[in-house]
Amino acid sequence: MSTIVEKLRQYSKPGYYDKFDYHWTMTIDLDRCTGCEACVVACQAENNLPIVGEERFAENREIKWIRIERYWEGEYPDIKMGFIPMLCQQCDDAPCETACPVYATYHNQDGLNTQIYNRCIGTRTCAVYCPYEVRYFNWFTYTWDEPLEQQLNPDVTVREKGVMEKCTFCIQRIRIAKDNAKDDNRRRVRDGEVVPACVQSCPTEALVFGNSNDPEAKVSKMMKSPRGYKVLEELHTTPSIVYLTKVQS
Amino acid sequence: MAAIAGPAINKMSKISRRDLLQFIGAGGVGVAGGILYGEGVQRNVEFLIPQVVPPEDYSPGVATWYNTVCNQCSAGCGISVRIREGKAKKIEGNPVHPVSQGRLCARGQAGLNVLYNPDRIRTPLQNAAQRGSGNYAEISWDEALTTLGSRIGRLKIEGKAGRVRLLTGRTRGHLDELFAQFMGLLGSEHYQQYDFTYPAAIRAANRISFGVDQLPYYDIKHADFLLSFGADYLGTWLSPVHHSLAYGHLRQGRQGRRGKTVQIEPRMSLSGAAADEWIAARPGTEGLLALGIAHALVNAGNYLGSDRDEWSIALEAYSPSTVSAETDVSEESIVRLATEFSAPGTSLAIAGGATAAGTNAVASVVAVNALNYLAGNLGQRGGVIFNSDPAFSATAGSRQAGLRGMLDLVEAMEAGDVEVLLVHDTNPVYALPENVRFRRAMENVPLIVALSSFHDETTAMADFILPTNTYLESWGDDVPDPGVGFPVASISQPVVAKLYDTLAVGDIILLLARRIGGELPIRLHWATMEEFIKERWREEYELRSAAGEDQDFEAFWRASLEAGVWGQPGAATGDESVPSSSSMIASITDPVSKFAGSESDYPFVLHPYLTATFTDGRGANLPWLQELPDPMTSVVYGSWAELNPVTADELGIREGDILEVESPAGSIRVPALIFPAIRPGVIAIPIGQGHSAYGRYASDRGVNPIHIVATQVDDQSGDLAWAATRVRIKRTGERLRIIKTDGVTRTLGRQILGPKNDHA
Amino acid sequence: MFDHGQPSYADVNKDIISTMLETGPKYWTLLGITVSVAGICFFMPWFYQLIVGVGAAGMNRNAVWGSYLSNFIFWIGLSHSGTLLSAVLHITNSPWRKAIYRSAEAMTLFSLMTAAMFVMVHLGRVWFVHWSFPIPNQMGLWPNFRSPLMFDVMAITTYLTASSIFIYMGSVPDFAAVRDASTGLRRRLYTIFSFGWRGTAREWHTLGWAYTFFAVFVIPLAVSVHSIVSWDFALSAVPGFHHTIFAPYFVTGAIYSGTAGIVTVMYCLRKFLNFERYIGQVHLDSLGKLLITLSLIWTYINILELFSTWYGGTSFELEALSFKLTGFYAPLYWEMLLFCAFVPLLMLFKKIRWSWNKMLVISILINIGMLTERFIIVATSQPRKFLPGAFGYYVPSWIEFSITVGSFAIFATLFLIFIKWVPAISLYEVKETLRPLRRDA
Ligand SMILES: Nc1nc2c(c(=O)[nH]1)N[C@H]1C(S)=C(S)[C@@H](COP(=O)(O)OP(=O)(O)OC[C@H]3O[C@@H](n4cnc5c(=O)[nH]c(N)nc54)[C@H](O)[C@@H]3O)O[C@H]1N2
Ligand code: SF4
Ligand code: SF4
Ligand code: SF4
Ligand code: SF4
Ligand code: SF4
Repeated sequence: MSTIVEKLRQYSKPGYYDKFDYHWTMTIDLDRCTGCEACVVACQAENNLPIVGEERFAENREIKWIRIERYWEGEYPDIKMGFIPMLCQQCDDAPCETACPVYATYHNQDGLNTQIYNRCIGTRTCAVYCPYEVRYFNWFTYTWDEPLEQQLNPDVTVREKGVMEKCTFCIQRIRIAKDNAKDDNRRRVRDGEVVPACVQSCPTEALVFGNSNDPEAKVSKMMKSPRGYKVLEELHTTPSIVYLTKVQS
Repeated sequence: MAAIAGPAINKMSKISRRDLLQFIGAGGVGVAGGILYGEGVQRNVEFLIPQVVPPEDYSPGVATWYNTVCNQCSAGCGISVRIREGKAKKIEGNPVHPVSQGRLCARGQAGLNVLYNPDRIRTPLQNAAQRGSGNYAEISWDEALTTLGSRIGRLKIEGKAGRVRLLTGRTRGHLDELFAQFMGLLGSEHYQQYDFTYPAAIRAANRISFGVDQLPYYDIKHADFLLSFGADYLGTWLSPVHHSLAYGHLRQGRQGRRGKTVQIEPRMSLSGAAADEWIAARPGTEGLLALGIAHALVNAGNYLGSDRDEWSIALEAYSPSTVSAETDVSEESIVRLATEFSAPGTSLAIAGGATAAGTNAVASVVAVNALNYLAGNLGQRGGVIFNSDPAFSATAGSRQAGLRGMLDLVEAMEAGDVEVLLVHDTNPVYALPENVRFRRAMENVPLIVALSSFHDETTAMADFILPTNTYLESWGDDVPDPGVGFPVASISQPVVAKLYDTLAVGDIILLLARRIGGELPIRLHWATMEEFIKERWREEYELRSAAGEDQDFEAFWRASLEAGVWGQPGAATGDESVPSSSSMIASITDPVSKFAGSESDYPFVLHPYLTATFTDGRGANLPWLQELPDPMTSVVYGSWAELNPVTADELGIREGDILEVESPAGSIRVPALIFPAIRPGVIAIPIGQGHSAYGRYASDRGVNPIHIVATQVDDQSGDLAWAATRVRIKRTGERLRIIKTDGVTRTLGRQILGPKNDHA
Repeated sequence: MFDHGQPSYADVNKDIISTMLETGPKYWTLLGITVSVAGICFFMPWFYQLIVGVGAAGMNRNAVWGSYLSNFIFWIGLSHSGTLLSAVLHITNSPWRKAIYRSAEAMTLFSLMTAAMFVMVHLGRVWFVHWSFPIPNQMGLWPNFRSPLMFDVMAITTYLTASSIFIYMGSVPDFAAVRDASTGLRRRLYTIFSFGWRGTAREWHTLGWAYTFFAVFVIPLAVSVHSIVSWDFALSAVPGFHHTIFAPYFVTGAIYSGTAGIVTVMYCLRKFLNFERYIGQVHLDSLGKLLITLSLIWTYINILELFSTWYGGTSFELEALSFKLTGFYAPLYWEMLLFCAFVPLLMLFKKIRWSWNKMLVISILINIGMLTERFIIVATSQPRKFLPGAFGYYVPSWIEFSITVGSFAIFATLFLIFIKWVPAISLYEVKETLRPLRRDA
């Protein structure tokens, strides 16, 4: 009994994932981000996101694992625009995980909020619970106009109707990097060896990705910026994404 | 060849057996893609591994990357394409390419939608019914080339080769040379290019201000203060990926130093959204504003040149108070901008977009150039850097026809002077005002041949359609324009075997040359484009390696091919390119745009703008781009007209009300969108939609504002002044739901964008 | 207590059992209608949805939950006043319960089944619904016991089981009565159903004891079921869902709508099965008083919810509040208040409470209001969560409307089948309420 209590206590301690090899983390510098949406297309290409068509957009059923939200401030002529890329925050205390009755979404040892398409029964509870609205449901089975399907990434599953999906931090790329590290007899992957598609493409280098358990990693240094904050921090979801706020001049 | 350095070389020295095999693999694909199956190539059967003999690098389950060049806009980013089982899976930036440095824009990524587009033309076609009806019959390459060869050959024999015209888009590199040679050997002077987005005004202005006929390198990366007059450098202007990289660095790349950006434009663009200060000067007066700032700068004693007094006199008429009244920008702002622009640290002024598309376009850019001169930004790090090596800048763009050239072509076609029109990679039927009547004029041409991958509006008028490989299936090379401050050339190679019975443009030209006969096949003796390019690179290599280099050409070629790029960093610029000031003073003229349509009849200024996704409309057939929410409005799949909330309120217009937007040149019907960051009195409509053809994703969707632009030429550049038209709007009473992904675009006091701060 | 004169034991048997044994064309017509409506309005659209995906319904990114879940709550709610009411009244020894409790309990059962149908319709991949049950499998994979949906599965299956046993147990003596009154196959069937009930004192004693036990057992169960359903919402952080009041709110709402449902059912029983003698004014009056009480509690909780939301004062909650009161669905909100908070006050007047027709109208209005309430709970909160950029709204598609209509037909079908197989009014308990018998009866 006491071991169970101990374990539970351990789970609820902040920084639980620190003791593992990896805690994948992303920083997003809003002072660099221009809202260009290269990341959005990169993710679509890498992760086999469907082309849903105009009608689905009209119904608010698009699927974009990363999207850019825009917020106006002020009125003409003193008006400013703030862009913020929004993707799964890979929360350490993820509300979506407690929601799922079948463990189709759960936390892995790398601190990732994973999504098991095969296990999902489509209750959509996770999407209701997610404060960041980054879970996307397959309302239909989407198909590609021939021969667009030839582009599909063989490393990533194509999802069917009734399944929830969301950003995975490009887990397939993490896997490949880990395999390579293993082949080279390295205990950990090197900093910068895992580059998610969105991070890879970002032309302003606003996105930085890495293992925050490694104090030398670039992402660990970025996280320490005094501009750092987490979106909806007050909900205590403990996101793995640290935003660096735009400098107001 | 000592000068060959840079990333390409770093990679080259480390070439391993595996890399070598990889490269040979690439060559194999190239052969498969570029080989001239010649006559009657059968439709390629799809194999799991689409090659007869799979090269070693095609081990199933293992990805290989090939470097080539993006052709989605004129920036010429280097790209790496991920191939699995012979199919292209992902495009990323080529990390060793100095333009893209491993990064890519949305458009560049969507290149896969070009390659695998369901609406590609898959075989040669011949018009089977009335022109423009879209009724085509499939023919063989042999049939097509023989027919065309004999018809063009006959004209040549009859001495009427001048009646053959070639019109392309923005062809650069050795394909451009091949086209030129082909036309030259044929005996026709009429090889022109038409690219709506070509910055002709900047080029003309640089010729006038600096005596350099080129697009220089604008070193945004090292600037501390960037003043942009209408140039959406982060979205569409010149080289967006490169500028975005530079912008990231300007903001947060330097310890303790954050560059500032100011954007002057009537409607907030991506770059305006990123700017610290966004100023909506009165449309058409941006150049004037530049002169006002110049005036303030000189008056404040911040220009210390010996010719200070001459500048004072030249700028006398542009005192901040006068300019303020004209531009609707406060005097204080003008003076402050002048102070900031001349403050210690590097500054840079750029011009583009609507500023460079009025009837005053060149004068405006000249004014901006003057500003750069006065602040001492020429030839400086963080300023304007001229390309020292003319081989790498001069030819590109020199064939751009502009509106004047196109009007000449229309005239010639209407007069029956054009017998054969060859069109490739340009869509003037779409990208010219309807008033130009390009389509009508085409009806007078007896034979129109389109070398095209897609059925766009211009291709739809063709008698013969010769389907081309996409850039991902073709050999080629490219010189980015503008460059990156030092000589750079990129190689394109096919990354996959071609999908259909298509041919690379260069190969079509070479084949056609053979059918035409005469000296053409002798002079254009290369079997393939690949061979041609390799030979040219060998010549260039030999020319440059006079200094002696132990490496042989084959090794150099392999390394360049593997790296996708050859470059000569550090071979930069000297102050010698700073022009004399007197010519610049002389070139200052009154930069005020003249709008078509009177203010009383047409109370609004039409602000057509390029979008980062569709640019001049060519992105519209790519589903990933159609589905990409517009960065500023989140609209997908359609057109809209933006107007200021106050204006909308006054006129009782709500989002989705269909407006009739009428200019002196025509009218379009488009739903209204209330946009908070646009000057009252301006109606902004994005360019790119409104295709009548161009495949399932593009056709019959939205409107094309270019069509209602009045046909006004900027005198000095000869280009279309597409931002100098006035319009009036009328509610039609109909409504259309604008499809967008945004909910509420205010934070409602929630700290979504983070706590307010001033961490510089 | 009988308005139309006391019936004899034989009358009781005759009246009630005859409804089971004599099936007229009216019954078949009615059954035909409900079965067709269920098929056309519920099953056909559902099959279509199974083929194309849940996208056939109107839900979208802004509201991934929609009318299917609000209907689910509605039917779970309706289930409450059956078994729960019956149990409470049994324990408190309210004599007037006897005529109604059988159909009330049946209502519980059938509305639970209908609710379960909505879970099926709601799921994206219903063909894997068994994964939500803790069935041992070779992958050693269990459901997630932290998930409120998991609690739901447990609670509802338990409640369904307990209610089934409860109604069955109470029906055993009546099955025996039917057995005795029938012949042939039916007789053999009812022999099995009645477990060889002979009516000995020991049997009556055991039944009475067991029945009371179950009544006591079922009450907390019913309360827990709807509390747990409310946790599906309350355990999220979603503004508008995240309220501690939700459990009592849901339970109150459930009993409220269930009681109103009973009024409707009783009206129908009286009207169509000529049960006037067993269901009288006294029942109506008591139910009316109960409804007023429930209505006031319900209204109080609603006010409390508004207050605590306002008092919380966060941008999230305030936005959810203003959206509820003035946003896209606001007309529905005000309709709900009208039907569930104001209209029921009319029952303060005895004249209204004593009128079957007026009470029918009020009870139906309450249930329309409560159906709306569930929709408002589900639909108004989700589109106004935390990021304004993702705000939106949702409109049910015709498929959802159709399935909603169809669900009533399913419920009615089940009820129609039920009344032919189980005495719709407890024979023996009604007899218990009769005055001592004359020998010759
Ligand atoms: N290229 C190629 N692909 C094929 C086939 C082929 O012939 N060639 N054949 C196909 C066929 S017929 C099949 S059946 C599939 C088989 O495909 P897989 O099921 O993937 O088969 P294996 O790779 O043999 O085994 C999977 C993993 O199980 C681990 N393992 C071994 N014993 C145990 C154990 O007791 N417990 C656990 N948890 N893990 C264990 C192994 O180490 C291995 O990592 O492959 C299919 N795919
Ligand atoms: S952002 Fe949403 S989906 Fe991602 S872990 Fe957090 S709660 Fe789950
Ligand atoms: S939609 Fe899938 S992942 Fe989400 S809660 Fe339901 S079963 Fe779990
Ligand atoms: S990390 Fe990967 S999955 Fe997540 S948004 Fe970026 S590209 Fe998409
Ligand atoms: S690619 Fe980078 S700069 Fe562009 S929107 Fe995404 S995060 Fe922002
Ligand atoms: S900027 Fe132009 S060349 Fe570069 S990736 Fe984008 S479309 Fe391609």
